[in-house]
Amino acid sequence: MNDFVLLGVLPYIAVVVFLLVTIQRYRMKGFSYSSLSSQFLENQHHFWGSVPFHYGILVVLLGHVIGFLMPTAILSWNAEPVRLLILEVTGIAFAILTLVGLVNIVLRRMTNRLARRVTTWSDLAVYALLLVQVISGIAIAVFEGWGSSWFATSLTPWLWSLIKLSPDVSYVAPLPGIVKVHIVNAFLLIGFFPFTRLVHVLVVPNPYLWRKTQVVIWNWDRSRLRKTT
Amino acid sequence: MTLNAPKTLLILFFASASLARGQDPPSEETIAFYEQNCMSCHTIGGGRLTGPDLKGVSERQTREWLVGFILDPKKVIDSGDTYAAEILRESRGALMTKVPGIDRTLAEKLLSFIDAESAKETSRYAGLQVSDRPLTDADIARGRRLFLGKDRFEGGAPACVACHTVNGLGGLGGGRLGPDLTSAYARLEGRNALAAWLSAPPSAVMQPVYRKHPVESEEILALVAFLKNTAESGSSDAPPATLSFLLAGFGGAIALLLVFDFLWRKRYRAVRRPLASGRLALDRQS
Repeated sequence: MNDFVLLGVLPYIAVVVFLLVTIQRYRMKGFSYSSLSSQFLENQHHFWGSVPFHYGILVVLLGHVIGFLMPTAILSWNAEPVRLLILEVTGIAFAILTLVGLVNIVLRRMTNRLARRVTTWSDLAVYALLLVQVISGIAIAVFEGWGSSWFATSLTPWLWSLIKLSPDVSYVAPLPGIVKVHIVNAFLLIGFFPFTRLVHVLVVPNPYLWRKTQVVIWNWDRSRLRKTT
Repeated sequence: MTLNAPKTLLILFFASASLARGQDPPSEETIAFYEQNCMSCHTIGGGRLTGPDLKGVSERQTREWLVGFILDPKKVIDSGDTYAAEILRESRGALMTKVPGIDRTLAEKLLSFIDAESAKETSRYAGLQVSDRPLTDADIARGRRLFLGKDRFEGGAPACVACHTVNGLGGLGGGRLGPDLTSAYARLEGRNALAAWLSAPPSAVMQPVYRKHPVESEEILALVAFLKNTAESGSSDAPPATLSFLLAGFGGAIALLLVFDFLWRKRYRAVRRPLASGRLALDRQS
């Protein structure tokens, strides 16, 4: 398909859909803002899915955001080959961690009877999009390195051109197909975001990180309670 | 300030009308386009670089053929055109890129510009703007630092290592987005073509980035010295480091999984599981 449509038009459609539907859904169905966790249904396999996936994706996303907001800082860091290696190996390690988590999440969904029962089509769409995103990202890091540097020089100017409403796709149009798959799929994820459980990203209860611990204690005799029921 | 709308429109109309005519002296845009996109591979009267010398090109082929070739070189070559095949062979397989932003009008203007330059005794595009002084060991060392990014390019251009590798860099080598440059010096047949190439990199990926951050002539010389040295000392391309990189990533991921397993070693075991199975101490006391 035309590069300009994919890299110069699709991003705007995705962002507009994201903004409109996110706000609309919050106003109309605010209580549907949830990750729809199935942790209560099964929590052993869940640990090896959710924990690696979330820590992985947070670090990888942070890397992308820094490359976008502070490209010169990344390039300065990468000016020393050892530091470039540290950054790239850290990135690929967390990316693989993300993939391990994601694969576990999908496997659990497919094999666990209870989890499968609460799985919707939008969940499956999210898994498909995320798998494409993470696998293409790892493929880029491995076969098209060093992405931390060329993201700052080729992707960042293109992203800023989008923000300035004068899209210049000449930076990204000649990049290899796998990079374009990663980019286009990222915007598909943004576009689908408000229709899926991904909205929980917007309502993460961050204060849990620093609020005081709460301990829940039952102070009645639970075994007697069980016998009587 | 108030704008006189009809007058402004009139000026714009005449300005665009004069731009559309080809036989006028070349506009600044045409010259800038030539310098940005053509000069790195061609001279006008200075012999071949990566591509052929363009002096008198209009005498060698028809205008229609030339315009067609400029618009899409690959298409003409793929069509089985014998002249195009010969050019490709003379360029040792270096395919001319389809220049972003080119159209029929611009191609016509470029050809008129090349014709005008060809008519001159000596075109200012006959030679390079880069000095031909001898290359020194200091140049090689500086070139290596520039390649790795340890020394910054004055114009703010990104270091080569982001996308390219050469043999002998150590570690996991350079980037893999662009081609291995170990034999770049040999591929481009020496100093002049390589220096010209670096003065305005014509590859589609590099062009938008380096257009805004050109590499200075002394820096080009240093890079040429480094790549010449690499081509002469290193025998083959650098071995791909993809596997070691991937293995390092897997190692890191496994280490992180072990850390998680350790940090959450009491997960669901201290309270929830005993609670669910009715084996919590509190239950047993009653």
